[in-house]
Amino acid sequence: MQRFKTIVRVLVLLLAGSFLHYVLPQHDIVQISQAEPRRTDFGSFNRWFYAQADSGSVEMENRDIFYIFTEKKETFLLGFMPRDSMEVMVYRNEDTGWIWPPYFKFDSSNLHGQATTQARKDANSDGGNWAVITHYGWRIPFLSIFPNAVSISSVEGPNVRITPWFNIFFFVFLMVAIVFIRAMWRQFRERSVDPLLDAAGEQYDEVQAGVAERKGRLSRWLDTWRAKDKR
Amino acid sequence: MGFIKLVVFGFIGLTVIYFSVSLYSRSVRKERLEDTFDEEHPDGGAPGARDAFVAEGMQAYNNSIRPKLIGLVYVVPTVVIAAIVYTINAN
Repeated sequence: MQRFKTIVRVLVLLLAGSFLHYVLPQHDIVQISQAEPRRTDFGSFNRWFYAQADSGSVEMENRDIFYIFTEKKETFLLGFMPRDSMEVMVYRNEDTGWIWPPYFKFDSSNLHGQATTQARKDANSDGGNWAVITHYGWRIPFLSIFPNAVSISSVEGPNVRITPWFNIFFFVFLMVAIVFIRAMWRQFRERSVDPLLDAAGEQYDEVQAGVAERKGRLSRWLDTWRAKDKR
Repeated sequence: MGFIKLVVFGFIGLTVIYFSVSLYSRSVRKERLEDTFDEEHPDGGAPGARDAFVAEGMQAYNNSIRPKLIGLVYVVPTVVIAAIVYTINAN
């Protein structure tokens, strides 16, 4: 039973962790090589990993989506440890709209413009062509799933240090919220559930005592029929 | 329309949070009042004095600014969403 509980707990933690890893913003240091729109026909499964049509447009079976093709600096440990090697990374660039995930991004066309401008920059020119792409989501090639780019900003070089302020605030808020909900739940139990349970327990005890007493009376009555001690 | 959906469901969700937080806050306040009374009157006090003391304290709580501050539950997420909309879409 203990082992089963541990397994369930680990599974829940893993699910919550990968959910947050998918949804929270991450920063990649990239050189953009190209940005282009491409028609995308969704499959029944990978449809889940795309957003909806631009807010203001109608939802169809398929549509054109902007993609950003880049060379990205590889990292270890969820982006905390930079590496020297590069890898290819492709981002989609879609409006998230008003609902989910709550990035409220409506400027995919503007971002496309920014990406094409960035792609035109020369690596050897003044300032180079390095940029930071903020994105959420995963790249899963065999399902044709792409992370969604949220913003692009050009940086001096590949060795910039990025502080993930949003994620820091988010996790602090999450901790505070968990502690607060725990306190609320404890208060609710202490003040509302426990008194009810106590009352029920008392009633149960009274019933038990009543039964015991009736039994006592019955056995005393039976005892009057038993043979007296003959001495 | 996404925006209407967000407003309607956001309002429902925030209302649930609002009522839970205000219930919690009242409950904590009431418990503290009861504890104060019990500390001051270890013998139990006059009959009905405890209820009167708690009722008076809750009246003071209702008139204070604290229960109104819980209304921030509606304000803060709206401001945060507006800030996100601005920062994401402004270049």
